[in-house]
Amino acid sequence: MQKDPEGFERKILHGFVDVKDKHVLEVGCGEGRLTWKYAGASSLTVGFDPDHDALRVARADMITHLHESARDKSRGTPVHFANASASNIPFSKETFDIAILAWSL
Amino acid sequence: MQHESMVHALDEIRRTLKPNGILIDLRPVESNWSVEVSSSTGQQVAGRLNDMPMGLADDEAAFHAMREVESRGWYIKEKEDEFAFFYYWDTPSEMKEFMEAEWEDFEKMEDEVYLKVKSLWSQANADARVRVRVKMLITRWKKL
Repeated sequence: MQKDPEGFERKILHGFVDVKDKHVLEVGCGEGRLTWKYAGASSLTVGFDPDHDALRVARADMITHLHESARDKSRGTPVHFANASASNIPFSKETFDIAILAWSL
Repeated sequence: MQHESMVHALDEIRRTLKPNGILIDLRPVESNWSVEVSSSTGQQVAGRLNDMPMGLADDEAAFHAMREVESRGWYIKEKEDEFAFFYYWDTPSEMKEFMEAEWEDFEKMEDEVYLKVKSLWSQANADARVRVRVKMLITRWKKL
Protein backbone atom coordinates (compact mmCIF):
# COMPACT_ATOMS: atom_id res chain seq x y z
CA MET A 1 0.00 0.00 0.00
CA GLN A 2 1.23 3.46 -0.86
CA LYS A 3 -0.04 6.77 0.49
CA ASP A 4 -0.04 10.02 -1.48
CA PRO A 5 2.74 9.18 -3.96
CA GLU A 6 1.85 12.40 -5.81
CA GLY A 7 2.89 14.41 -2.74
CA PHE A 8 -0.26 16.53 -2.71
CA GLU A 9 -0.27 16.67 1.09
CA ARG A 10 3.27 18.00 1.29
CA LYS A 11 2.65 20.59 -1.42
CA ILE A 12 -0.49 21.99 0.17
CA LEU A 13 1.01 21.97 3.66
CA HIS A 14 3.96 24.07 2.49
CA GLY A 15 1.52 26.40 0.74
CA PHE A 16 -0.36 26.90 4.00
CA VAL A 17 2.51 27.51 6.36
CA ASP A 18 6.18 28.37 6.13
CA VAL A 19 8.05 26.30 8.71
CA LYS A 20 11.46 27.72 7.83
CA ASP A 21 13.39 28.55 11.01
CA LYS A 22 10.29 27.90 13.11
CA HIS A 23 9.64 25.71 16.15
CA VAL A 24 6.98 23.19 15.17
CA LEU A 25 4.85 20.93 17.36
CA GLU A 26 3.14 18.01 15.63
CA VAL A 27 0.15 16.67 17.57
CA GLY A 28 -0.55 13.00 16.88
CA CYS A 29 2.55 12.40 14.80
CA GLY A 30 2.03 8.63 14.75
CA GLU A 31 4.82 6.95 12.79
CA GLY A 32 6.12 10.31 11.60
CA ARG A 33 4.88 9.93 8.03
CA LEU A 34 3.98 13.63 7.78
CA THR A 35 6.82 14.83 10.02
CA TRP A 36 9.54 14.17 7.48
CA LYS A 37 7.67 16.14 4.82
CA TYR A 38 8.37 19.45 6.53
CA ALA A 39 10.83 18.93 9.40
CA GLY A 40 13.86 19.53 7.22
CA ALA A 41 12.99 23.21 6.89
CA SER A 42 12.15 23.92 10.53
CA SER A 43 14.65 24.86 13.22
CA LEU A 44 13.06 22.42 15.66
CA THR A 45 10.32 19.84 15.29
CA VAL A 46 8.72 17.94 18.15
CA GLY A 47 6.17 15.26 17.39
CA PHE A 48 4.18 13.53 20.08
CA ASP A 49 1.72 10.69 20.17
CA PRO A 50 0.24 8.39 22.83
CA ASP A 51 0.92 5.28 20.71
CA HIS A 52 4.21 3.65 21.79
CA ASP A 53 4.33 1.33 18.77
CA ALA A 54 3.90 4.18 16.30
CA LEU A 55 6.64 6.17 18.02
CA ARG A 56 8.95 3.18 17.83
CA VAL A 57 8.58 3.30 14.02
CA ALA A 58 9.06 7.07 13.97
CA ARG A 59 12.26 6.83 15.98
CA ALA A 60 13.57 3.97 13.84
CA ASP A 61 12.95 6.02 10.69
CA MET A 62 14.81 8.93 12.26
CA ILE A 63 18.10 7.12 11.66
CA THR A 64 17.46 7.06 7.92
CA HIS A 65 16.48 10.71 7.87
CA LEU A 66 19.47 11.75 9.97
CA HIS A 67 21.72 10.07 7.44
CA GLU A 68 19.97 12.01 4.66
CA SER A 69 20.43 15.22 6.65
CA ALA A 70 24.10 14.48 7.11
CA ARG A 71 24.47 14.32 3.33
CA ASP A 72 22.56 17.58 2.92
CA LYS A 73 23.89 20.12 5.40
CA SER A 74 20.98 22.49 4.73
CA ARG A 75 18.62 19.93 6.24
CA GLY A 76 20.27 19.40 9.61
CA THR A 77 17.24 19.83 11.84
CA PRO A 78 16.62 18.62 15.37
CA VAL A 79 13.59 16.32 15.44
CA HIS A 80 12.29 14.78 18.64
CA PHE A 81 9.49 12.33 19.27
CA ALA A 82 7.72 12.15 22.63
CA ASN A 83 5.17 9.87 24.17
CA ALA A 84 2.37 12.14 25.32
CA SER A 85 -1.30 12.91 24.97
CA ALA A 86 -2.92 16.13 23.78
CA SER A 87 -4.85 16.23 27.04
CA ASN A 88 -1.64 17.22 28.84
CA ILE A 89 1.04 18.49 26.48
CA PRO A 90 4.36 18.30 28.32
CA PHE A 91 5.82 21.60 27.11
CA SER A 92 5.99 25.10 28.55
CA LYS A 93 3.64 27.81 27.41
CA GLU A 94 4.48 29.82 24.29
CA THR A 95 7.19 27.41 23.09
CA PHE A 96 6.13 26.81 19.48
CA ASP A 97 5.48 29.02 16.44
CA ILE A 98 3.39 26.40 14.66
CA ALA A 99 1.29 23.42 15.75
CA ILE A 100 0.16 20.80 13.27
CA LEU A 101 -2.80 18.59 14.06
CA ALA A 102 -1.89 15.66 11.89
CA TRP A 103 -4.99 13.58 11.13
CA SER A 104 -5.71 13.65 14.84
CA LEU A 105 -8.74 15.82 15.56
CA MET B 1 -11.82 11.78 20.65
CA GLN B 2 -14.92 13.22 22.31
CA HIS B 3 -15.98 16.83 21.95
CA GLU B 4 -14.80 17.94 25.42
CA SER B 5 -11.45 16.22 24.91
CA MET B 6 -11.01 17.98 21.56
CA VAL B 7 -11.72 21.39 23.05
CA HIS B 8 -9.33 20.69 25.93
CA ALA B 9 -6.62 19.55 23.48
CA LEU B 10 -7.09 22.72 21.42
CA ASP B 11 -6.68 24.75 24.62
CA GLU B 12 -3.49 22.86 25.44
CA ILE B 13 -2.13 23.51 21.95
CA ARG B 14 -3.02 27.18 22.35
CA ARG B 15 -1.06 27.27 25.62
CA THR B 16 2.10 25.98 23.93
CA LEU B 17 1.81 28.34 20.95
CA LYS B 18 3.60 31.68 20.95
CA PRO B 19 1.47 34.83 20.52
CA ASN B 20 0.05 34.87 16.97
CA GLY B 21 1.16 31.26 16.59
CA ILE B 22 -0.34 29.15 13.80
CA LEU B 23 -2.38 25.96 14.12
CA ILE B 24 -2.72 23.75 11.05
CA ASP B 25 -5.60 21.29 11.19
CA LEU B 26 -5.10 18.60 8.56
CA ARG B 27 -7.56 15.71 8.40
CA PRO B 28 -9.65 13.49 6.18
CA VAL B 29 -13.39 14.08 6.03
CA GLU B 30 -16.03 11.52 5.16
CA SER B 31 -17.39 12.06 1.69
CA ASN B 32 -18.21 8.69 0.10
CA TRP B 33 -14.64 8.43 -1.16
CA SER B 34 -14.35 7.13 -4.72
CA VAL B 35 -12.72 3.83 -5.63
CA GLU B 36 -10.71 4.05 -8.82
CA VAL B 37 -8.46 2.07 -11.13
CA SER B 38 -5.38 4.01 -12.15
CA SER B 39 -2.92 3.13 -14.90
CA SER B 40 -0.60 4.86 -17.33
CA THR B 41 -3.53 5.29 -19.70
CA GLY B 42 -5.80 7.05 -17.21
CA GLN B 43 -8.27 6.57 -14.37
CA GLN B 44 -11.68 4.91 -14.12
CA VAL B 45 -14.13 5.27 -11.24
CA ALA B 46 -15.55 1.96 -10.01
CA GLY B 47 -17.89 3.42 -7.40
CA ARG B 48 -17.99 5.01 -4.00
CA LEU B 49 -17.53 3.85 -0.42
CA ASN B 50 -20.28 4.21 2.14
CA ASP B 51 -19.56 6.51 5.09
CA MET B 52 -20.13 4.74 8.41
CA PRO B 53 -21.85 6.38 11.39
CA MET B 54 -18.72 6.50 13.56
CA GLY B 55 -16.75 8.36 10.90
CA LEU B 56 -19.54 10.85 10.37
CA ALA B 57 -19.85 11.38 14.13
CA ASP B 58 -16.08 11.98 14.41
CA ASP B 59 -16.23 14.58 11.66
CA GLU B 60 -19.14 16.36 13.30
CA ALA B 61 -17.35 16.36 16.66
CA ALA B 62 -14.23 17.87 15.10
CA PHE B 63 -16.16 20.59 13.28
CA HIS B 64 -18.14 21.31 16.44
CA ALA B 65 -14.94 21.63 18.50
CA MET B 66 -13.37 24.04 16.03
CA ARG B 67 -16.52 26.16 15.94
CA GLU B 68 -16.49 26.27 19.73
CA VAL B 69 -12.87 27.37 20.12
CA GLU B 70 -13.43 29.98 17.43
CA SER B 71 -16.48 31.31 19.28
CA ARG B 72 -14.44 31.42 22.51
CA GLY B 73 -11.97 33.70 20.75
CA TRP B 74 -9.06 31.29 21.05
CA TYR B 75 -8.32 31.04 17.33
CA ILE B 76 -9.37 32.77 14.13
CA LYS B 77 -9.62 30.94 10.80
CA GLU B 78 -7.27 32.41 8.19
CA LYS B 79 -7.42 29.97 5.30
CA GLU B 80 -9.05 26.68 4.32
CA ASP B 81 -8.89 24.33 1.35
CA GLU B 82 -9.68 20.80 0.25
CA PHE B 83 -7.44 18.41 -1.63
CA ALA B 84 -7.27 14.76 -2.66
CA PHE B 85 -5.09 12.22 -0.88
CA PHE B 86 -4.75 8.86 -2.60
CA TYR B 87 -4.20 5.43 -1.10
CA TYR B 88 -2.88 2.96 -3.70
CA TRP B 89 -2.85 -0.85 -3.70
CA ASP B 90 -1.46 -3.24 -6.27
CA THR B 91 -4.61 -5.37 -6.33
CA PRO B 92 -8.30 -5.08 -5.41
CA SER B 93 -7.94 -7.85 -2.82
CA GLU B 94 -5.17 -5.95 -1.02
CA MET B 95 -7.39 -2.89 -0.94
CA LYS B 96 -10.33 -4.88 0.44
CA GLU B 97 -8.16 -6.49 3.11
CA PHE B 98 -6.84 -3.10 4.23
CA MET B 99 -10.28 -1.55 4.40
CA GLU B 100 -11.70 -4.39 6.45
CA ALA B 101 -8.80 -4.18 8.89
CA GLU B 102 -8.28 -0.42 9.16
CA TRP B 103 -11.42 1.36 8.02
CA GLU B 104 -14.10 -0.96 9.35
CA ASP B 105 -15.69 1.74 11.51
CA PHE B 106 -15.37 4.53 8.96
CA GLU B 107 -15.88 3.30 5.41
CA LYS B 108 -17.56 0.30 3.85
CA MET B 109 -17.16 -1.04 0.33
CA GLU B 110 -20.28 -2.75 -1.01
CA ASP B 111 -19.87 -6.00 -2.96
CA GLU B 112 -21.11 -4.30 -6.12
CA VAL B 113 -18.27 -1.77 -5.99
CA TYR B 114 -15.71 -4.48 -5.27
CA LEU B 115 -16.87 -6.54 -8.25
CA LYS B 116 -16.73 -3.47 -10.47
CA VAL B 117 -13.22 -2.52 -9.40
CA LYS B 118 -12.04 -6.09 -9.90
CA SER B 119 -13.52 -6.10 -13.38
CA LEU B 120 -11.99 -2.75 -14.36
CA TRP B 121 -8.62 -3.69 -12.90
CA SER B 122 -8.49 -7.04 -14.71
CA GLN B 123 -9.21 -5.35 -18.05
CA ALA B 124 -6.78 -2.47 -17.54
CA ASN B 125 -3.10 -2.19 -18.45
CA ALA B 126 -0.59 -4.38 -16.65
CA ASP B 127 0.56 -1.37 -14.62
CA ALA B 128 -2.93 -0.72 -13.25
CA ARG B 129 -3.37 -0.19 -9.52
CA VAL B 130 -6.44 0.49 -7.45
CA ARG B 131 -6.80 3.59 -5.34
CA VAL B 132 -9.16 5.46 -3.05
CA ARG B 133 -9.53 9.20 -3.36
CA VAL B 134 -9.72 10.56 0.19
CA LYS B 135 -11.15 14.03 0.67
CA MET B 136 -8.81 16.09 2.86
CA LEU B 137 -9.42 19.35 4.63
CA ILE B 138 -6.64 21.72 5.65
CA THR B 139 -7.30 24.80 7.75
CA ARG B 140 -4.94 27.47 9.02
CA TRP B 141 -5.88 29.04 12.36
CA LYS B 142 -4.16 31.89 14.16
CA LYS B 143 -3.94 31.99 17.92
CA LEU B 144 -5.62 35.07 19.35
